[in-house]
Amino acid sequence: MRKPLRVTVATLAAATTLIALTSCGRSDDAPAEDMSAAPVAEGEATGTITVWAMGTEGEKLGEFADAFSAENPDATVEVTAIPWDAAHDKIATAIAADQTPDVSMVGTTWMGEFASTGALDPTPDTIDGTSFFPGAWGTTIVNDVAYGMPWYVETRVLYTNTAAAEAAGVSPSPATWDDLKTSTAAIQAAGADYGITLQAGQQGAWQTFMPFAWQAGAQILDDEGNITLDTPEVVDALTYYQSFFTDGVAPVDVPVGTLESSLIAGEFGAMVSGPWHIGILEEAGYADFTLSPLPAGEQLASFIGGSNLAVFKNAENRDGAWKFIEWLSQPDTQAAWYEATSDLPSVPEAWETGTLATDPQLAIFGTQLETAVAPPSIPNWEQIATVIDTELEKVTRSGLDPQEAATAIQQQAEAIGTGL
Amino acid sequence: MATSTAARVPAPADSPGRGAAPVRRSTPLRRRRSIAAWGFAAPFVLLFLVFTAWPVISSLLMSVTDIKSRDLQNPFNVNFVGLDNFATVLADPLFWQAARNTGYFVVVGVPVVMFVSLMVALALNTGITRLSGFFRVGYFMPVVTSIVAVAVVWRFLLKDDNGIINVVLGWFGIDGPNWLGDPNWSMPAMILMAVWRSMGTLIVIFLAGLQGVPASLHEAAALDGANAVQRLRLITVPIMRPTLLFGAVLTGIGYLQLFEEPLVMTNGGGPLNSTLSVSLYIYRQFGFGNYGIASAMSYLLFLAIVLLTLLQFRLLTERDPRPRRKARQTTEREGSAR
Repeated sequence: MRKPLRVTVATLAAATTLIALTSCGRSDDAPAEDMSAAPVAEGEATGTITVWAMGTEGEKLGEFADAFSAENPDATVEVTAIPWDAAHDKIATAIAADQTPDVSMVGTTWMGEFASTGALDPTPDTIDGTSFFPGAWGTTIVNDVAYGMPWYVETRVLYTNTAAAEAAGVSPSPATWDDLKTSTAAIQAAGADYGITLQAGQQGAWQTFMPFAWQAGAQILDDEGNITLDTPEVVDALTYYQSFFTDGVAPVDVPVGTLESSLIAGEFGAMVSGPWHIGILEEAGYADFTLSPLPAGEQLASFIGGSNLAVFKNAENRDGAWKFIEWLSQPDTQAAWYEATSDLPSVPEAWETGTLATDPQLAIFGTQLETAVAPPSIPNWEQIATVIDTELEKVTRSGLDPQEAATAIQQQAEAIGTGL
Repeated sequence: MATSTAARVPAPADSPGRGAAPVRRSTPLRRRRSIAAWGFAAPFVLLFLVFTAWPVISSLLMSVTDIKSRDLQNPFNVNFVGLDNFATVLADPLFWQAARNTGYFVVVGVPVVMFVSLMVALALNTGITRLSGFFRVGYFMPVVTSIVAVAVVWRFLLKDDNGIINVVLGWFGIDGPNWLGDPNWSMPAMILMAVWRSMGTLIVIFLAGLQGVPASLHEAAALDGANAVQRLRLITVPIMRPTLLFGAVLTGIGYLQLFEEPLVMTNGGGPLNSTLSVSLYIYRQFGFGNYGIASAMSYLLFLAIVLLTLLQFRLLTERDPRPRRKARQTTEREGSAR
């Protein structure tokens, strides 16, 4: 039996924020007024630097930071691990209550929201934006101001069952939209249930779809910052995406937990996914897959995600915080961090040595990252993304006309607004 | 304890017929008594005010402002917008879809679970089998199991091709639907699971109610030639009416707040938003930081719960079939019951 007080629980959450809001408003510095970053003091870092980090990063960063303390004997790094699913609320509450740490890991799609509260410190010039993958650096920029540092990245590539491709007599690395279409159809014709799986809808499907839109040359925002999701390019991408479903080459439903086993069994020929799937597939004892960059439409593109590190305006140890982040952005540190966690470095230079330079599978991700695109860092992005998820599902499942879908996305996205 | 005994002694002072003077004389005692009472009640009252009353009030306040998550830093940016949020919500087609989904769930789910639970309770109450204790435990198991674990298992049961439910249907030559993947079947799947899950509580409540039905009435009716169905309709159900009302109200309120099942089973409302419930949509809006909109939705849901509960009282409270004079008394009793 459900608790009859759920409404109260929902309102409780709201109220705590309201309490926080009435009792402790921070000084009124909107991000637009204070855009220039203050300089960071010279010399070694000192004092305690408090850091919040999520997931594996939260577990491993504490030990990893010992190397930083060795270089800066007067500085200690205190890492608090927080679970991913509590992280967003915890950071939001911390900002409201003015109880922020010095540094926090921030998911790339949250940057717009948190930066627009005015709680993040603009990145000082000790951190060089040009040393990162452009897509990764783009995730830190809100309203033309950079906040924080891109820490690690992930991007999506094409995974193909090599044996299935060989059986069908096609290349496992299709180079263009047409190639992908014909090769997946051939794999299906050669006996696989489906040629490829593409997310048909539901949460996060936009991450699989938007690369196709970007490949077609679409933009989410134009140069003036207007939402442009009903352009001919978006319609082209929707039409192309839909064709996989109308032709029956891609399944509408992939039951939860069957993705990997189906790819291994050759029940479908290919899928689009990120670097984490290498580990999952290898753990399942499967090595016969080929990675390739997503095929080119008008141009090459993929989705770039990952996490940034941000410093809060009210950090007690601001200089120490930026020095720590600067250290984490060094190519050597980034390469070492990859060895510790398998997080892909956001700095291209870190890819030039060690495993990252020699492993051919990882090299595919390195190549893909050069053309990977991040969604704009606007506060309302998550909300607009949900609209894309929903309309995309109508396109794939119930055959909604791509033009109508694009119009619907545009209308709803305009109603939501960028939030800037 | 001494205080309470002392306090009880002058209680007759309150009774009519005494003059004003004795009342004044007892004032220090009364005050002491009321201080003690407030002392005992204070922890609850405090928690109630902070964690129940204040949230409800603040949510009402938020529902008439344009507050968003970004305003947490700049509370002075929050503007009063009157009923704009409610207008926005009522103009949102997705909200109406969520309302339709939730309504479907309640209108179909509540009667089904009530009926099934009553039948099971009747069967258990007769005690035909020595195993009825085992069954009482068995039916209650889903209630105490974690919803997330249950939902994951049900996802396997409901699988399209090799889920147990469709396999069993296949034995009878029925080609089972793609339960969670087909927008037409996703809600029935939710109802199936919700019925299974909330039966336990209702069965326990109904069993308790059945204990209150005097066996002598059944014996007398049986002597008069009433069969089992007649006895159920004319004796058991009327006597159980308050219990049934309680069960229906509790289930109705719970079902209107459908949340965990679609969150876990269909990744938050799919396919094609066919399992998006109002609670889930409220949760989503909070996640987007649209606190004003979410609060307005919460209050609309609250209103729906009040209306449904009133409706259930109207439908299920005892109605006397005898002439009007009696009927009016019944209405008065209804009024006081509320």
